[in-house]
Amino acid sequence: MNDRQPSIVVDGVSLAYEIPVNATSSAKEYLINLVKRRIIYEKFWALHDVDLELHRGEVLGIIGPNGAGKSTLMKVLAGVLPPTTGRVIVRGTVSPMIEVSGGMNGELTGRENIVLVGALLGRSPRLMRERVPAIAEWAGLSDFLDVPVRTYSTGMRARLGFAIATDRKPDVLLIDEVLSVGDESFRGKSLQRIRDLMDGGTTVVMVSHALAMVERLCRTVMWLDRGRVKAVGPAEEIIAAYREAV
Amino acid sequence: MVHIRGAASAPSQPVYDSAARRRPVIDEVRTLWTHRSLIRLLVVRDLTVRYKRSVLGVWWTLLNPILTASVMWVVFSKIFDRVARGESVPFIVYLLSGVLLIPTFFGQGVIAAGSSLMGSGAILSKIRVPGEVFAFTAAIAAAVNFCFGLVPLFGIMALTRTPIPWTVLALPVAIVAMLMLVTGVGMLIASAAVHFYDVIDFTRVILQLVVWMVPTFYPIEIIPDQYQIFVKLNPLYSYLQLFRGLLYRGAFPPLWNLAVVAVSSVVLLVVGVWVFSKSWRRVVVKL
Ligand SMILES: Nc1ncnc2c1ncn2[C@@H]1O[C@H](COP(=O)(O)OP(=O)(O)OP(=O)(O)O)[C@@H](O)[C@H]1O
Ligand SMILES: [Mg+2]
Repeated sequence: MNDRQPSIVVDGVSLAYEIPVNATSSAKEYLINLVKRRIIYEKFWALHDVDLELHRGEVLGIIGPNGAGKSTLMKVLAGVLPPTTGRVIVRGTVSPMIEVSGGMNGELTGRENIVLVGALLGRSPRLMRERVPAIAEWAGLSDFLDVPVRTYSTGMRARLGFAIATDRKPDVLLIDEVLSVGDESFRGKSLQRIRDLMDGGTTVVMVSHALAMVERLCRTVMWLDRGRVKAVGPAEEIIAAYREAV
Repeated sequence: MVHIRGAASAPSQPVYDSAARRRPVIDEVRTLWTHRSLIRLLVVRDLTVRYKRSVLGVWWTLLNPILTASVMWVVFSKIFDRVARGESVPFIVYLLSGVLLIPTFFGQGVIAAGSSLMGSGAILSKIRVPGEVFAFTAAIAAAVNFCFGLVPLFGIMALTRTPIPWTVLALPVAIVAMLMLVTGVGMLIASAAVHFYDVIDFTRVILQLVVWMVPTFYPIEIIPDQYQIFVKLNPLYSYLQLFRGLLYRGAFPPLWNLAVVAVSSVVLLVVGVWVFSKSWRRVVVKL
């Protein structure tokens, strides 16, 4: 493995969401606007010129107020949002955990979801079927494997999502707000698991409003505010400044 | 030697580069192949989730076309009874074969593939999965649905002592051609739906027209000679001729029908995949 190649590079990334100018978005208006060469979508810039470089095994915490663009940046890193300008390079396998029930289907049972989400993450369904008991055991959901996930509580869904995402060691782990909905025991277990992964060389990016937890896990923290990087640096320093500001 | 090369270079790891250039069509076809086990899983999910809360479950897949055909049979059997003599098969076989291929396979398949991107938004905005996987899954599910529907169709043929010719062995050709058509048209509609969602509803209306402009439940003879050209210009007519030819007439249709099927399936598939590859990614910034 070439350790000198950074595992994540974000180079001058800006991202614009497109929101229909008027909610109707009908075909007729679309055609009229097209003919008149009018812009049909209003751009909303959720990220402005973000730069970032992370090496193997590093852990970055991202903090900032609601709507700052944290989840947006995570989606850019996960490769689901193509940057409007700039470039992103992520090396290795990625386990994204973006918003609690990412990728799960409420109608399917826990067992079926383990296989489905695993397959969406690029793991073979056969392997996932073998892993079902271990994953359920770790998540403490062995008794709920055969009921639909829509009946799970938010915390149960978060447990399952985390257990699936970290079942295999990914090169890059993206965690967006998943840990904050879990109870104390789940938090303790998952923090331990994240530390193990870090020791194994996994690069971690985590978004959280739980500043104490960010401080415990991350050496470096990025503070986002209205789509711009307000500050990057040592965790204690940035978090102190952020606490000061809010 | 292999192990020397392996030791010298890093083990091959996936790299996501937002600026990487993609080769249109070729890369899409490759993704479908590399994601085949995911597609299989998603097809099963597609076919079962819909019925999770229903008592009859997946049996609805079989019941739907039969019920549709039965309703039509009640309405049209008296009017179009002579088709039976002209076609040498019972009217119900004529009817069910038409209903299975055109509104079920083509109609439902195109709508499902066309709305697949919007429907998978929750996944597409969280996990990096190629959009074509979902469009293709919908088309495959329509094909599987169609194959399930063949079971009662053959059952009825057996009950009515309709001879089943050896040409049924060539049915996979017709199914693959229709799958290509559904995938291509569905991807075109999905791409348009990224820009304005109304396309889906618009397509539903247009489909009604296109679908009933081919002889699914009426014999083409009821249309005056000078207007038959409008039915025959519809590519779906050639697909229907191919299917019925193989299913019970025991013969391939005329060459021009085969040409229409071959050309339209390949051209629409390639154009559909190409347009799709240009537009599907933008769906996430608009969700
Ligand atoms: N799909 C979308 N379409 C349009 N605008 C969006 C979309 N998703 C997010 N935004 C906007 O982008 C901005 C950043 O949103 P984002 O979800 O990244 O914030 P966040 O930092 O994760 O907030 P929170 O702490 O509440 O999770 C917000 O102003 C939001 O309104
Ligand atoms: Mg967020």
